[in-house]
Formats: sequence, C-alpha cells, structure tokens
Amino acid sequence: MEALAEFQLLRPKTLADVLAARSAHPASQLLGGGTDLIVNLRRGIIAPTVLIDINGVAELRTLAADAHGLTLGASVTLAELARHGCVIASYPAVAQAALSIAGPTQRNMGTVGGNLCLDTRCVFYNQSQWWRSANHHCLKTTGDLCHVAPKSRGVCFATFSGDLAPALMTLGAEVDIVGPAHSRTLPLQQLYIGDARHDGAGAGDGKRYLALSPGEFVARVRVLREPGLRSGYDKIRVRRSIEYPVAGVAAALRREGDSLADLRVAITGTNPRPVLLEGTDKLCGKPFDDRALDGLEELIREQIMSMKTTFTPGHYRRRVAGVLARRLVRKLFEAH
Amino acid sequence: MTEIVRTGAVGAYVPMVDGPEKVSGRAKYTADFIAPQMLTGRIYRSPYAHAEIIDVDTSQAAKVPGVVAIITGADCANTFGVLPIARTEYPLARDKVRYKGEPVAAVAAVDAATADKAIGLIRMKVRALPAYYTASAALAADAMPIHDKKPGNLEREVLFELGSVAEGFAKAHLVSEATYNCAEVCQNQMEMHAAVAEYDSLRERMTVHASTQVPYYVHLMLAQILDMDMSRIRVVKPFVGGGFGCRTECLNVELIAALLARRAPGSVRMVLTREDTFITHRGRPETDIRMKLGLARDGKITAVECECIQRGGAHSGYGVVTILYSGSMLYAIYDIHNVKYIGKRALTNTPPCGAFRGHGTVDVRFAFESLLDQMAHAIGLDPMAVRRANFLNAPTFTDNDLMVNSYGLPQCIDWVEKESGWRERRGKLPKGKGLGFACSHYISGASKPVNWTGEPHATVKLKLDFDGSIIVLTGAADIGQGSSTILVQTVAEVLGLDISRVRIVSGDSDVVPKDNGSYSSRVTFIVGNAAIDAANKLKGLLVAAAARRLDAAPGDVECLGELYRAGAQDKGLTFEEVVMEALNDSGTITVTGTYSTIPQSHGGKKYRGAAIGGTMGYSYSAQVVEVTVDQETGQVTVDKVWVAHDCGKALNRLTVEGQVQGSVWMGMGQAMTEEAGYHDGLLVTANMLDYRVPTIQDSPPIAVGIVESNDPHGPFGAKEAGEGSLAAFLPALTNAIADATGLRFNDLPVTPDRVYTASAKREHSGFKKRNGAP
Repeated sequence: MEALAEFQLLRPKTLADVLAARSAHPASQLLGGGTDLIVNLRRGIIAPTVLIDINGVAELRTLAADAHGLTLGASVTLAELARHGCVIASYPAVAQAALSIAGPTQRNMGTVGGNLCLDTRCVFYNQSQWWRSANHHCLKTTGDLCHVAPKSRGVCFATFSGDLAPALMTLGAEVDIVGPAHSRTLPLQQLYIGDARHDGAGAGDGKRYLALSPGEFVARVRVLREPGLRSGYDKIRVRRSIEYPVAGVAAALRREGDSLADLRVAITGTNPRPVLLEGTDKLCGKPFDDRALDGLEELIREQIMSMKTTFTPGHYRRRVAGVLARRLVRKLFEAH
Repeated sequence: MTEIVRTGAVGAYVPMVDGPEKVSGRAKYTADFIAPQMLTGRIYRSPYAHAEIIDVDTSQAAKVPGVVAIITGADCANTFGVLPIARTEYPLARDKVRYKGEPVAAVAAVDAATADKAIGLIRMKVRALPAYYTASAALAADAMPIHDKKPGNLEREVLFELGSVAEGFAKAHLVSEATYNCAEVCQNQMEMHAAVAEYDSLRERMTVHASTQVPYYVHLMLAQILDMDMSRIRVVKPFVGGGFGCRTECLNVELIAALLARRAPGSVRMVLTREDTFITHRGRPETDIRMKLGLARDGKITAVECECIQRGGAHSGYGVVTILYSGSMLYAIYDIHNVKYIGKRALTNTPPCGAFRGHGTVDVRFAFESLLDQMAHAIGLDPMAVRRANFLNAPTFTDNDLMVNSYGLPQCIDWVEKESGWRERRGKLPKGKGLGFACSHYISGASKPVNWTGEPHATVKLKLDFDGSIIVLTGAADIGQGSSTILVQTVAEVLGLDISRVRIVSGDSDVVPKDNGSYSSRVTFIVGNAAIDAANKLKGLLVAAAARRLDAAPGDVECLGELYRAGAQDKGLTFEEVVMEALNDSGTITVTGTYSTIPQSHGGKKYRGAAIGGTMGYSYSAQVVEVTVDQETGQVTVDKVWVAHDCGKALNRLTVEGQVQGSVWMGMGQAMTEEAGYHDGLLVTANMLDYRVPTIQDSPPIAVGIVESNDPHGPFGAKEAGEGSLAAFLPALTNAIADATGLRFNDLPVTPDRVYTASAKREHSGFKKRNGAP
C-alpha cells in the first residue's frame, strides 16, 4: 500500500487526557476503529495533522448489559456488541444492527462511537481528491453547490448511514457527551441535527449533522430496559455484506392484546440524520391491522426524503424503507 | 518393486503448482519489487472529458524538492495500441484530452508524499470541446470527431448478411424482436495495475516488471514508445493478481513508468489506486442490442437479425475485434442460417473499453438467449427443446466458415436438465421462485494472433540437466487461471512422470521463449499443444539414450516414466540412468516444441473481419439458475446454479471446476449488481463499495458438470474452460426471474430497484385494470 500523509498519533489513557489533547490540538480528530476515517484520509477528504486514538481509554471500553440497562462505551467494537449474549437477548435491535454493519473485518475494528458519529455520505463526496476537484467540489467540502440538489440554496443532503443509531433510538437511548467545559446528556435523537428540508428546523444538514460543539465527543450511550418492549432491525442493501444500508429500519413495540401499546420506528440510510418517526403513537391503542401498517407507511412517505446521494435511486430507498418497516413491525407484533 | 503413484496426472484434481506461494503471501507481485533508491511514480489525470490542450504547466511541480523527473505528452510523440490498425493512444495526452482521467503528465519523486505534492501543483490550460458520454450522442450527425481520422465517431461498422433474413423470417411461425441494454462493466481484478521500470543509463537497457497478461505485447509497445531497440528491453511478468481481459493489451501504466525511469534516470515504481485502476478500464462496453429471431413451429431458428451498438470509450483498444466477435459468435453454437448483423463501435469521451472475459460474446448471447426463451414460451415449447431443435452436427463449418470439430452442447443440456430436476420441478415451484435456462460458448484461442509474424503460434522449451529435473520455459502468463499448472501436468503426462519432477519458469523475456500471452483462452489449447510437442521430443531423446544403454532398438523401449525398459522381463533403467546416458551426447538438453493452428480454423473471407471468431475448438456451456424473487423489495436471490461445461477434456478437474464457478460468479456480477456509472463523464463507481462485485454472502452453490467431448486437435482432447460459462448465466438468470414473476428484464444489471419498479408498475396497471381504467 502507498503511505498515508503524515500525522501525529496520540494515545491518551484517560478521558481527561483526551480532553487535554483535544484542546491542545483543536483540528485533531478522534480515532476509533478507523474504518471510516482511514478511507477519508486516503481520499484527502480530511487531512488532520493529529489523530487521537481513544482505544486505550478504559472508561470508553465499557460494555455493560443486564436486565435493567445497557451501557456502551464509545470504543466498544461492533463485533463485541454483535456477539454479546445479553445484548442479543434483551436488546435484539442493537445486536442485529451491529451484526449487519459492513463485514467481519470492519466489525472487528469499527466502534460504537464511530458508527454513531459516522460521517454522512454522498456519491459526490465519498470520492478521491482528483474526482471531487474534477467535479468542482461540493457543499460538504469546499464547493458552493450541492450536486444532488443544485437548487438546494446551501443545504447539503449527504445521508446518514449508521446502523446503530436507529436501533438505539427506538430503545430510548441517551448519549453522554464529554466536552471541555462540561459533560452533558442528550436523548440520542437530539444528537442528530441534519435536516434535509429547506423549511426544517434549520439547525443542521448533511454537512453539520451532529449537535457537538468544538472539543466535544460522544463517550457512551445508555439504554434503560423497558419490560415488554420487543425490538428488531433490518436493512436492505444490494449485496448482503460490506455495504451501507440502502435503507435500514429499527422498530420497538409493545403489544397489549390485539393492539399496539407503544411503537417506535427509526430509519437510516435515507436522510441526513437517522429519523425517529413522529406520529407512531397515533397507530397505537387500537387493533393492529393493515390500516395501521398503511398509516406507518404514510408516516415514512411524509418524513423520509431520500435524494440522489447513492448510486441506488432515491425513490427506491424511500419506498423500500416502507416495505421493511411494515414487515418488521408485523413480525415483532406477531412474535410469540 | 513398489509401484509409484504418479501425482498430477491429466484428468485428476491437481492443486495449482504456484498455490503455496500465493496462500502463504510469499508470492511476489509487481508492487513487491522494491529496490534501494526507487522513485515513486504518479500520474496527473485530466479533469476534462474532451478538450484541446493549450498548456500543461509543470514549472511549480518541478521546484518541489525531491522531484526527480516530470514528463508530459510533449515528451513522447509515439502512439500505442493493441491492434496494428488502431494505435492511436499516447501514453500521455498530446494536443487533446479525450476522457476524464486520461493521463496528461507524470512525476517521479523520492517518495509518495513528494510525488503527490508535485502532482497537485501541475496546471493545465485547455479549450473545452463538446463531450459525448453515450454512443448515441457520439454518433449523432453533428457530433465533433473525437479522433480526426474517425469522422462521425464511428470506430468500426460491421455489416454482413449470410443467406437471406427476409426469406428466413417469411418461413417462420413466429418472429419476435426486442431491445436490450447491458451496462458497462469492469474486470476489477484483485491486484491494482502496477509497473516497476528500471533504466540502466550506462548500458541503455530497460527492465520492466508489469502486472500484465501479455508480456510480449508490453515488450513491443515499450520499444515503440521509447524508440528503443527491442534487444535492450527486458519484460518480467511476476505473479499477477488476475486480469480477466483488462491486461490483454499494454496499458499506459507500463509505458509511463518506463518513460519516467529513462528521464530520471533510475528506477520508478508505479502502483495505481483502485480508482485509477478503474479509470484505466478496458472492460466490457455498454451495449445496446436489437435482436430479431424467426422460429419455426418445431423450434428451428429460421433467421437471426442482430444490431449491436457499443460505447467503446475514447480509444480503440480491442474495439474493432470486440464488435466483430459480437457478430461472428452468433454462430458456432446453433445451426443457424439467414443471419444479418449490423455492428457499430462508437468512440466516446469515456475511459477506453477492451477485452473482458467472454470478449464480445456475452451481451449478444444475453439478448439471443433471452429472446429465444421468450419465444419458446410463446409457442409452447420447452426452452431446452428449442435448443435441441437447433443443434449443430459436428464436424462442420458454419456459414461464416468457423470450424466446429467437437460439440458437447447436447450433453451439457442433458446434464443440467437432469441435475436441476428441470422436468419435474419447472412450473411447480412455490410463488416467487423460478427456474431459467440458457447456453453459451467460447473460443479456445484466436486462431490468428493479433500481431501476425509467421512464427509458430506457440513455442515451449524444456531443459533437462544432471539433476534429473525438467524445467518448462514458457512465455505464457499465469495470471491466476492456472496455466502454469496445466503446462507442468501436460509435460509430466507425456513423459509419464510425477509433476514433482517438473518445474516451470514463465514470464521473463531474458529466459523464456516469446509467447503471445494469456487471452482468448488460448494457453491450454495452443501452448499446451506446444508443450506436448516439446515433451514428445524430449521423450524421443530419452528413449534413444535408453535404447543405446539397453542395446535395444528405440522402438522396443518402453517408457514408464521413472523406468525405461526393453520388454516386460527387462530390469530396465531408472530415469536418472537414462538422463545420464542422454547427457553424454550433448550435456544439458534443451528441446523446443511448437504449435500452430491449422488454416481451416482461420475463419473465412465472406465479409471484412471474418477471421475474428476462428479457433481450433469451441467450448460449450448450459446453465440452469434457480431464483427467489421478493417483489415487494425487488431483491433477487440466486438459490442455486447448475452449470455443465464442455471443455473437451478436463486436464485438471480442480481448476476446471474453479474456472467454471468463477465464470458463473462473474456473470452473476454483471447480471445483478455491477455497473460502471458516470456523472458528466466522471466514473462514479470507481471503488469497491459502489462497484458492486458480489460478495461470498451473495454466492449461491454452483454445481459443475464437466462434459468431455474430446476435441480431435486439443491437447489430450482439451478445450477452453475459463470463459465459456460466463455468458449463459445472464439470460439464465433473467429467464428464471421471468419464470418466477412473469416480468422480463432486458436491461442489465437487474438491481433491486429495477425489479421493484417493474413490479410496482405492473401492480399499478393491474390496479387500474381492476378499477376500470383504460
């Protein structure tokens, strides 16, 4: 292989050292598994002079799972997560999502923190320096145009493609963020601010997609187990390994008799953020039938907007997300 | 005496002789030849698709400390190309650039970072010209020529009609016509393109290690580009990580590395990125096909009309040959007459296409077998019965003068019919499942080499010395397909020896005889026959020596490999004793074996280019594919493939099975997931995520049946095994999808979104019908 550009590699052992390194090197980037970062380095998408390897920080390696809750440190690998007996039994959506990421080698290296903060993706962005330059760059880098939507007026449509986020969001996860000033905790869905709509909240887009201030980083994600909650994750991709989701769907629900008592559905691979569907509560409290599933698909059509950010056409990703969601919710509902 | 069990015998399962090096990582590929003071080479590529070059400014790049050499198109006015009639490509563009990614300048520097920095400082000034990214745009009446000598951007037009299609269609019970589109596909071999060029300025000699299938062609082109005497050039082909056709011509990589090495002067290592390897391309062109067939009531084909338009890219490459193959190879699989072919190869502002496994035959076969399947259903015949109604009666010559001596297609169809349970299961599968069937064929080496010299088609030398080992010296390029193993086996077989006595040296022009290279599935047939000739000559010398020692007539000496004897009672001589006797005359023994194809195999003269398609023997393949289609998501799962391949005689059953499975698998990639996609002429899919080669998770069980038709000219009866089973997968898949869903997919690849869209459209129209809409 050809050499990477030179950078300094720091290996702090404590969270405090990570924070100190970050403030000493504001332009540094955190290195977890590197499965996303190294590709972007090679492509010249990023060129940090300092990388901070956080795998040596013991606090970030916590994987605690029991009948009460789940705590995942940022450096827990996807492979560890996918094969953890208690995660498989009590938080199936999380284990299924972890197991569906990329291939075995990436899962051995890739981490929870890396997948939660996965850079948004676009066919016009995930290309070499030469390629992007020949295409006059784009909004997400140094250009002034979004090639996906040339009339986007400054909005970047790059797509969030992490698999863990939707699974954890449906379980009501919270994320602990460590920063130079203070630490804070957010509901996981509030970590994601990438809005694809011009008339949206406007906090962010495909370029600014995480609610992290300079120097802040995700330390862990936590879930409190809710008894009776069934969960699952499924995704469509063109090949059965390696690929990012064409569309990924996580669902968690509680059943009471013939009705849904609770339903949460989150979708990835379509918008600049993982989308926790709004309005699923309206499908609860009445007998579960095809009309409920039609209602679910309706919510997806309203809230999911997949653009030409992948080689696979956007309209397909949006529609197939609906198909997956129907199937997954039905399967979970009907499970014994 | 204990009987020695010989390993590696022809017909056995024989592990590849170079396998241990590959699986242990000890094998050295081009990029592994790193010498002290070696410079790193980098290419500056055009960001423009079609433009006049006004200036290439390398002055800032030259100032970077550590930059040793910079070259541009101004440094080489010679052109290269595989076909003598179409050598139009400069190693670095001059005057004009013709596709995004075309090399324009190159840098050699002390390390990669320095070279990259210098590349980033090169500036190019151009006058943009209109660019054409599709065949139809390039062939439009008002399009500007991409090459001055090719007005209308028509690289080559082929037109022939043998018999009368009008009469043939008039006789038909059913005439059907359909159009097909096959996306451009790339080989995407494991090893990225690489070249290491070492220039010895004291002696004015050039040594190039290259990841190539054709070291001899590389040698020719280096001499031409460098204006160097061929005797001063040495080309080494080390281990090569696949090629599948994109390395069957000298690429710009080897030439640019050599130009840099001479300019430096010194050693330059150039290893392309995956993206650059994609852009260098030479894959299968995007192809539009209009196919029209006439079928009699009994399934006999009465006429064939085929129009084929290929988007060739910015330079010819093998293009003229590809568009000719697409027409000529309509023949030699079925007994067809009344055939009309219109072929058009367009020049476009996209990376050049070339020879991809199944060269020229695959897309046309897809269209032919798809339409035949559709028509079989329309007239209520079993698709296999339709093929059986059209068998050739070998030995025969086709209407376009192709020589067919052995023909195992009937046995191939019988095998897949039985093994797949075709008769019992077809039409009775659960909803969403289907079975599809199709056939294909391929040549065993082009009978006429691209560079016609009058020499034998292949030369193999054997060396035998005091140690009793036999060294096979050959220029044939093993690129992973196993040709070295086959040649070792062939020599051992003739001499009755274990393969452990035989070693092979290939791919170093200082040592081995010239060979045309590994393309058109020629090595087993053509080089194998030369190896047999050499081994027989060596055997003659050994038998003569044994006869002297045994005081017998040579005709009475029996060669048993490790034992030579005159009569069953004779104690005989060991192989070592015979070798010692033989060496008494001459010292080290070398023998030369040769092989040339026979003139009857050279194709005819009925139309211009009719020699293309001529071969000593055709392989045949039949396939049944079973699928499950999820119409709601559009996902197609290949549950199982049954494939029977007539390779004449399986010299090595292990590698034949591997090659046939590899062909099926590669066909699966083209049929289902792979596509070279462009955005304004920029290759969007130039990476392993977006260019979707199937993973092992997507690979179905592939049952291989070997059919041995024993070709009269083949080495021990063998024909090719590495290409012929690719094409049949494509139509067998779409025919299976049609069986499962009633939906016909004429455009490849059949991706989930296409299946979803077609299913949804039908649902929608069905809905409209049910609700009384028109």
